[in-house]
Amino acid sequence: MKVIAASEIRGPAGCSDKLLKAEVARFVEPPRRVDRLILQSLLGAAPFLPLLRKDCGLYLAADYPCRPTMELLLEAVFVQHKLPKPLEFVNSVSNAAGFHVAQKLGVEGPNLFIGAGRDLWRQFCEIAALDMADGVVSQALLIHSANPDEFVVRSLLLDNTPGTADSSSFATLSEGLDISRLEIVRADG
Amino acid sequence: MKPIHLYNGCLRSGMGATLAEASAAYLDGRLPSAQWYDLRELGEQRAYLAAPASNLQLEADLEALARECLADEPGPFDDVLLVIASTTLDIGQMEARVAQGEPFHNDLSTSLDRLAAGLRDSLGLAGAFTMNTACTSAANALLYAGRLVASGAYRRALVMAFETPCQLAMQGFGALGLLSPSGHYRPFHPQRDGLVLGEAYCAVMLGEQPGERPLARLLGGFSACDTSNLTTTLEDGSHIDWVMRQALDSACVTSADIALVKLHGTATGANDIAESNGMQRLFAGLQPPSCVLKPYLGHTLGACGLSETLLLLDALRQGPLPPVDYADEAMLALNGAPLALPPEALLLSNFFGFGGNNASLVLQGAQP
Repeated sequence: MKVIAASEIRGPAGCSDKLLKAEVARFVEPPRRVDRLILQSLLGAAPFLPLLRKDCGLYLAADYPCRPTMELLLEAVFVQHKLPKPLEFVNSVSNAAGFHVAQKLGVEGPNLFIGAGRDLWRQFCEIAALDMADGVVSQALLIHSANPDEFVVRSLLLDNTPGTADSSSFATLSEGLDISRLEIVRADG
Repeated sequence: MKPIHLYNGCLRSGMGATLAEASAAYLDGRLPSAQWYDLRELGEQRAYLAAPASNLQLEADLEALARECLADEPGPFDDVLLVIASTTLDIGQMEARVAQGEPFHNDLSTSLDRLAAGLRDSLGLAGAFTMNTACTSAANALLYAGRLVASGAYRRALVMAFETPCQLAMQGFGALGLLSPSGHYRPFHPQRDGLVLGEAYCAVMLGEQPGERPLARLLGGFSACDTSNLTTTLEDGSHIDWVMRQALDSACVTSADIALVKLHGTATGANDIAESNGMQRLFAGLQPPSCVLKPYLGHTLGACGLSETLLLLDALRQGPLPPVDYADEAMLALNGAPLALPPEALLLSNFFGFGGNNASLVLQGAQP
């Protein structure tokens, strides 16, 4: 298993969903009425679009649930005493992000969402290695959406070429690669 | 995959405080009594299958559950991987604070890793992570934890799954119109009217040895994403059929080897049709007996992959499964008479969920 591409995207807390959507639109048509975690995940995945095979596995992680969505749901249910809006509720299911990434990028392999912890990249690689070893996937796309304020989305694409790397962090896994970087500097929200 | 043993199962659910209570009630065909709650705006009520109350905070409750599951295990536990499966996690605690008037702020929303990391540190485990793939969370947790043990990455794994009585889920499913107004939970019935949510807390050990209280061996499984729709799978059953076939292949068995299918059976309109079609594609006219467990446990969402697996495995070791009282009306062949199986029968267990996640597990019961 070898890392073949890496991406890092950063943006300020004030960056609007509209701006994120515009960045996503540079690669794929953004889905409608989705939340920030979904947009960030799409932004992390989209640069790899030309490289992806149909049997790519998708392994997505985030530090937190999408907090703006959580706030909307809590406001509806506990402050306004209403039913939540159906799409906001569905978006709050964490793996909704994985669904949209898989749909927009046309990948059909396993699609897992895990809570990002201190050993995230090692766990990502352990899980992806299982699917590679069993021939379930020939590629693995690992995406970590970190920090809900000043966001950072780090992504790696791995294939089944023999190779080893220190999986302790994004930095060690992407060592020696030309990391595709995007910095969203405008805070318009 | 190399078969991995499941043992030391623990379950607290609407069927009782223990797995033994739950399987005894299930074998008697005793359905639990539902509580009813108000749906916002509509002035209607929906049923909920609550577990016996615990006096502990969620964190302490989960630690007690983990320690119960680990009780017969040799320590230290630094070779044990923990995988937590849940969709609600600690959202109930956040809800309680907002319900008391605390305005939302970011610190109310805790990290997705918090509960797993806390248990890892307090129990001295080798590692821990949270799996969140909607209603397939626990099925995926079992599948990946089992494969990690089989690969030698960890010697043992502890899989924990739970769903709390979370208002966002209880109201959210109401907003989607998926909850049963009658509270009569009847998967695959032509007049089914939706699902009933349930509360559950469960845990199981996985290892290469059968442990003190063996339940089954995990022989294989498969999980993949159907990207056709966020909340339903392809109605023709083709994706479900493909996932079940891949699961059977991974276990090196065929559909003819399967003695029982544990259906996902949400009792929602589209999903039961899709699963029926998937079953017909895979088994054609040779469908083995099938059972549904959600009428007993409720739909325990991210925990159903483990809560239903434990209930089924424990019950199968003790006696014939109870019949489904509407089997002659059902859309596909459910057991209409008590169903006894050999202890080492092969089981196919289905779990499908939001986000296009479809998963099937292949299990083999353990000798009593």
